[in-house]
Amino acid sequence: MPPRVQTGRVSNTLLPYLTSTSSTTSSLPSSSSQCLRQFSATTASQTKLRRQMFEWLSTAGAGLKNHVPGETNYLSRLKQGGPDDSNRPFPNNPNFVSESILSEDLREEIYKRVVTKKQSLRAVSVELGIDMKRIAAVVRLVELEKRQRSQGKPLALPYARAVHEMVPVTPLADRGERQTYHESINDLPAHPLTGSQIFYPVPESRSFNRVEAGRVFSGAPAMTNEEAAEIQHPYDLAQKVIEDPKSIGWIGKGEKARQILQPADARIPHPHMIGLERDRLAHPNERLTVQRRHSDRLARQEALEQEARQRAQEHREASQKTVSPADSRFDYRIQDTKFTKETTGANGRAPWAVGRRYGVPHEDRTRGTVKIPTRVDA
Amino acid sequence: MVLRIRLARFGNKHNPFYNIVVAQARSARGAKPLEVIGTYNPIPKRPTNLYNENANARPYKEVALDRSRAQYWLGVGAQPSDPVWKLLGMGGLVVPKPTTFHKAHSDSKGFG
Repeated sequence: MPPRVQTGRVSNTLLPYLTSTSSTTSSLPSSSSQCLRQFSATTASQTKLRRQMFEWLSTAGAGLKNHVPGETNYLSRLKQGGPDDSNRPFPNNPNFVSESILSEDLREEIYKRVVTKKQSLRAVSVELGIDMKRIAAVVRLVELEKRQRSQGKPLALPYARAVHEMVPVTPLADRGERQTYHESINDLPAHPLTGSQIFYPVPESRSFNRVEAGRVFSGAPAMTNEEAAEIQHPYDLAQKVIEDPKSIGWIGKGEKARQILQPADARIPHPHMIGLERDRLAHPNERLTVQRRHSDRLARQEALEQEARQRAQEHREASQKTVSPADSRFDYRIQDTKFTKETTGANGRAPWAVGRRYGVPHEDRTRGTVKIPTRVDA
Repeated sequence: MVLRIRLARFGNKHNPFYNIVVAQARSARGAKPLEVIGTYNPIPKRPTNLYNENANARPYKEVALDRSRAQYWLGVGAQPSDPVWKLLGMGGLVVPKPTTFHKAHSDSKGFG
């Protein structure tokens, strides 16, 4: 290692470059005489690339300095002749398309439908073509914004306005017009079980559809003929799961127990849309009946989900008691638990048991242990 | 020998976590107890600020307790330590222990 030269002065080596466009001269040469030892007193000239950059900025790139409100300000604007480059920020990467964001009106409309009109997230998601998770996030964020306004906290409104001017935006359709879908709402998440390639010979006489394939992927035994005969179409299974989520079978024991992989029909966010499409195909001339059946299905699913949520809430409240002592700064949440063989394992050391276990190393400092929280209790 | 319901400390430095245990009074704090009947996390947790109903909520401490086992051990004469007495009192399993202030107050009342 070469000896370090202490000049007694901290200098920014990038200084000549940083001030290259401004008219002020660099202060480095004048002050360099004060140094005890000097290796190079001359200012490094601009590199070729850097000179080209400033050339481009003053000629072709000058058009991008100020954005046009309501249009994107991407590099691809300079490249003429492309098919529709307004949503492609990188001219050399046509596969990258920037997604649009929700407009302010659409955001307010979501909040109005969910909070004021008390519509379900599912119904709003289908009507406006926005993912259910996004709907939930919008409702929560609008609520936060309203609270901040009521508290008189400052909002970054000029920033929000500028961003909305510069990125593609999904507008709210006018009254009577059809709402453009913001995103695809029925995406199927790729299940890790389906990643493996399995060679599974099946007799030609046997039916083998995606219901059976899911069982094979999760290592479950094949269905009996009676069970298989009950399922005319995989959508029947989806309906059964909606009616009774506990009807999904389990495979494996103890810690390794997992649910049998269901067909895509049951795993997509909006299974009822399959029912609608099937009805449309079966009864092409009875639009009203099809629509009524669709709304009935939506209402039924919403009622079931509401019931399940309520049951879970009641169970939570029954098993948990919150005490607020007057002389304490804290609340105490006392949760009922059962310390039995079933809950702590036969030797009392089951990994899912409540409390820290005796004689079991606490693996929180072992390599590869996930220490960041994987969920947040809101 | 006396049975005690007491806290056994787990967790690392500055990160305490307690099991509520039933143990012989003279046994070590970290020794294997007769039974674990609950847990107590003394580090307060703050409710998330996302919902309006949570906006002014107080921070909370988490206690997990097997009520039926606690009742059984109290019934056969196990004596809770002071911190456990406080927790059991809040759970409604024992009468809260009178504080020094309360005792002094009731004494002065009795004499006066």
